[in-house]
Amino acid sequence: MKRFALAGNPNCGKTTLFNSLTGSTAHVGNWPGVTVDKRDGVYKKCAEPISIVDLPGIYSLSPYTPEEVIARNYVLDEKPDCVINIVDATNLERNLYLTTQLLEIDVPMVVALNMIDAVEKVGDKIDEKALENKLGVPVVKISALKEKGLKELMDKAYNESRKKRVGVTVLKDSPLAHVIGDVKIALEGQNVANPLFHAVKLVENDEIEVKMHKETVGMVSAFKKTFNDDIFGNDFEAMVADARYKYISKNFAPVVTHKNKEKFKTSASDKADKILTHKVWGIPIFLVVLFLIFHLTFSENLFLLNGFGDGWMPSLSDNEAFLEKDDDGNVVYEDNLDYYMTEDGDYLTVGSEGVTDNGNGTYSIEGEDGEFVADDEGRLGSRVPVLNYGGRWLATIYDGTIYSPGVVVNNIWNDMIVGEIAGRIQEAVDGSEMSDWAKGLINNGIIDGITSVLSFLPPILVLFLFFSILEDSGYMARIAFILDRMFRKFGLSGRAFLPMIMGFGCSVPAMINTRTLADEKERTATVRVIPFFSCGAKLPILTAVAGALVIGTGISADLITYSMYLLGIITAIVSVLLMRSTSLKGETPPFIMELPAYHAPQFKNLMAHLWDKTKHFVKKAFTIILASTIVIWFLTHFDFQWHILADEKINESILAKISMLVQPIFTPVGFGSQLGEYGWVFVLAAVSGLIAKENVISTFGTLAACLIANPAVAAEIGLANITSEAGIGAVKAMILATGISVPGLLAFIAFNMTTIPCFAAVGTAKAELQDKKRYKWTLLFWVATSYIVSAMVYTIGSWWWTAFIWAAVVAAVAVVIVMRNKKLAAKQNVLA
Amino acid sequence: MGAWEILLIIACAGIVIAVSVTSIIKKKQGKHDCDCGGDCAHCSACQSATKKK
Repeated sequence: MKRFALAGNPNCGKTTLFNSLTGSTAHVGNWPGVTVDKRDGVYKKCAEPISIVDLPGIYSLSPYTPEEVIARNYVLDEKPDCVINIVDATNLERNLYLTTQLLEIDVPMVVALNMIDAVEKVGDKIDEKALENKLGVPVVKISALKEKGLKELMDKAYNESRKKRVGVTVLKDSPLAHVIGDVKIALEGQNVANPLFHAVKLVENDEIEVKMHKETVGMVSAFKKTFNDDIFGNDFEAMVADARYKYISKNFAPVVTHKNKEKFKTSASDKADKILTHKVWGIPIFLVVLFLIFHLTFSENLFLLNGFGDGWMPSLSDNEAFLEKDDDGNVVYEDNLDYYMTEDGDYLTVGSEGVTDNGNGTYSIEGEDGEFVADDEGRLGSRVPVLNYGGRWLATIYDGTIYSPGVVVNNIWNDMIVGEIAGRIQEAVDGSEMSDWAKGLINNGIIDGITSVLSFLPPILVLFLFFSILEDSGYMARIAFILDRMFRKFGLSGRAFLPMIMGFGCSVPAMINTRTLADEKERTATVRVIPFFSCGAKLPILTAVAGALVIGTGISADLITYSMYLLGIITAIVSVLLMRSTSLKGETPPFIMELPAYHAPQFKNLMAHLWDKTKHFVKKAFTIILASTIVIWFLTHFDFQWHILADEKINESILAKISMLVQPIFTPVGFGSQLGEYGWVFVLAAVSGLIAKENVISTFGTLAACLIANPAVAAEIGLANITSEAGIGAVKAMILATGISVPGLLAFIAFNMTTIPCFAAVGTAKAELQDKKRYKWTLLFWVATSYIVSAMVYTIGSWWWTAFIWAAVVAAVAVVIVMRNKKLAAKQNVLA
Repeated sequence: MGAWEILLIIACAGIVIAVSVTSIIKKKQGKHDCDCGGDCAHCSACQSATKKK
């Protein structure tokens, strides 16, 4: 199979072209440096299938970055049948610098003038025939985004691949031509492949070439001694670069005709940047954009349209048109009772003072609106009218308040799809002749465990969609630029922020992307803090626990999740500051990045990413999560003598006993020994999260379902009122029933957000750090950070005055570090 | 214990063993469990799987 390589500058559209040609869904980000390794796919629309290799974006073939080495080695060593050089037509002269280097290699080549639509949109023109004549290789105008000109490009590349091509150089008229020519002849004598390319690089004193052609270096130096430049002296690399740019300006600038002769006209992107990257407003605007994303994903009161508190919008149950009615036209009420409790925490019963029997099976409570009903034990609870089918659909969008798009998708998915399917399966299992333990395993263990995880697919996808839009539009690249000013003070360049952004999706690719960071210490610090940027798998923990907090505190879910994300970011910044001032001290590398132009996100791209995310999430739910829920159900239903236990006895199970043994360790962080009888579930959930973070919620789901399935246990721990409410509602109720405090819950989230990430991320960190000692320190760092952060959240939340103690500790640590650094600096000065 | 219960136990054991064995095999092949969430372009596991194909 023929192999074509895609080579070009960063962010010139290589990956978009690769995806269009091969039908792949490789990650496309609107910033330079998204692709850090080569990847391949197959193009099938030519006379024969062609393997397409997408190389990382590079500015030159000099070995300054790992990406440049990868691309250079591939073109030289793997000898592709054709190189397709993608050139950003909106930045022609700068992109042609790489083209002039690729031309020196003996490989068939085609130039693809990408983003030609953007050039033509502003009325500019590029004479591709003139360009073709000057370069000596075919030039094709394309738009990878709109998939225009791709067939012509591939046909031309295919034709070229059947020809032999010898490298040419644009330096032939430069003062260096003579030296290069002599070296080339010498290399040809040694039968070196691509002699022209190697000759130029040897003249440049390229470090790879110097190592590769040790025997020729002496001769090259002798040639170079005969040559000296008034401006560049003996810096031959600068001389070659200057000669290339001079040639490009002289020969290629005329092929472009600008409609507007004004050279420095302000583009729409520039105008937007004046506001979005403003040195004062840039960060506040980013924080507002971030909050808006969380608001649109989690808010149950869109844009606060329903006001604060109870609000003014009517509930659907106030309108009979949306209520289910029986054959006699009476409204149908739900059986499950939301028990009425007095301020003392006692149940109100039919015999209590102030309760009146209405005679129709309903009761009235003095001072309370509406009618109440009693259960078998006489406890009073409010009745909930059942919505009809139309009402249930409407309730996914509006029910006494307008929901945000994220909540609407969530309601449709959970109430109308997953809930319906799971409910029907559970009904069928309940009606079967299986024994109780088997029914429990299927319904409580497997179905409730899996559905509690699957129920979080909508918020994950909606959040991911918003982040993808920000990334694709080019705004995220600006954020890196804005944050560089702030990060630099903490010892990180803005470049390090880009892998961190990827950490919002998943820590694994984010850690791999740190390869673009040249400084090893900066890279280690970045790998360590990436898990603090809450990934998609941690979102279920946040959302479920935030749900419990909403019930417990009344604070809106969007605000809680937003605050927790910010906590992760702040923890990352503080950790970086600590590391860069102590163990990973070093110079912060300069951050130079070409800001991409803003463009509308590509719908096809976004949908492809969402589909991939869904596929992986569902696959994970039905493999690793499913296996984990089965194991957890068994280990919570057997004791150490391997006797099967009923649901009400899970406190005596293997996992319960082990968790109880470990529980005291978590007392300082709020979910240890201070909790009630079932408090160990937090320990178990946190530990199971080490396999995959979704396990935290599936474990909660399984345990909550087991507890609720047994009326006696449910009543004892206050879950009786949600007997028919499965899934995440049960999880929220169980969390509250354990007696955990609000600070304890916040600490639980903080612990899970900052502790050791899942197995996959740990494996990636090990591979990327490439040093056992550093890896072990990283594990210890995660454990210590999570413990300290959650202890801080818990103690400050429980006893506000402890904030002063923590502040004193932080100040003391800062003083010690500053003094130590001063001492070290003084020592170094003495040695110097 | 009825046939359904026996089948259930076998199915559960099968799932747990299959997931564990697959994980071990992947690890032996130098490919840890993929958790890239669809972001295959950056995922070493996905990349190595593509290369093998």
